[in-house]
Amino acid sequence: MTFGRILPAWFFSLCENSWLGGWFKHAQWFFAIDETFHIMALGMLIGTLVIVDLRLLGLGMRRQSVAQLAGFLGPWTLLGIATMIVTGVPLFMSEAVKLSRSMPFFYKMVFLVCAVTLHFTLHRKAIASSTMKCSGLGRLAACLSLLCWLGVALAGRAIAFL
Amino acid sequence: MSHLLSFVQWLNDTPISVYLRESDWPFPIIETIHILGLGFSVGTIMWLDLRLLGLAMREAPVVDVMEQLEPWAIGGFAVMFASGLLLILSEPLKCYNTVAFRIKVVLLILAALNVLYFHKRVMHDVDEWDRNMPWRAKMVGVLSLILWLGVVIAGRWTAYF
Repeated sequence: MTFGRILPAWFFSLCENSWLGGWFKHAQWFFAIDETFHIMALGMLIGTLVIVDLRLLGLGMRRQSVAQLAGFLGPWTLLGIATMIVTGVPLFMSEAVKLSRSMPFFYKMVFLVCAVTLHFTLHRKAIASSTMKCSGLGRLAACLSLLCWLGVALAGRAIAFL
Repeated sequence: MSHLLSFVQWLNDTPISVYLRESDWPFPIIETIHILGLGFSVGTIMWLDLRLLGLAMREAPVVDVMEQLEPWAIGGFAVMFASGLLLILSEPLKCYNTVAFRIKVVLLILAALNVLYFHKRVMHDVDEWDRNMPWRAKMVGVLSLILWLGVVIAGRWTAYF
């Protein structure tokens, strides 16, 4: 499954030929810098998720409560997600036509939507109802969260290879 | 320097190096592990650094942050080191000739020295740090953030020059 099968071809040509797409396609430096921020945000995002999700699984920073950790790190998680989306859009636009035919890219977006939705629903609920001990809900939310973000990362990596 | 080059050349011609370079799956898998490991290594250590600078998790005692994140950071860096060595092994000559990679190695060594310095010279009376953070601890935090950021950036730009 690819996006090319869902959206019309002119949409992708439009993206690639837009000023943003064209700029990033031809200016290698901007592309490289943008991609660097994309990767930095990735590192930071995974860091926050690892700490909170590990805690939901009863690992890592056990002396702090889930709510405390999520309270500290939540804004950084959002910043990480926002940065990845903001830096991701130009990356998409510069190669829109190629990505319309990319199966990994399609699944990356599916995983991303799942991950973000999960983050604002089940994950939030698990954190709100957490205690110092682990709960089934917490473990479920943590596992799903880690799996979804892993899916985003792996699919994202696979774009270059498939 | 020519000794290093001969070693690199020799490494480049070993069967394992050739195999890693020419195979379909091992290289992508190792590279993926290296990139995902970023979250467990730099991704965790940066929170300790930010805590040292008083910019994140200020209500958690420094000792707590340090002791609890350390095992995961160590594990993460072990994975980065192992996967990184394999990546070098797959293309030793190309790494040797790439300026960005040389910069990365220098930054890695500096980052490691920073960690050593922290453990040997700075980590005393850590329980007091919640009341009064020593300037050396903050300095280590800043250096760590800058150096690891540099490593990540140099690592990405290895593909370009």
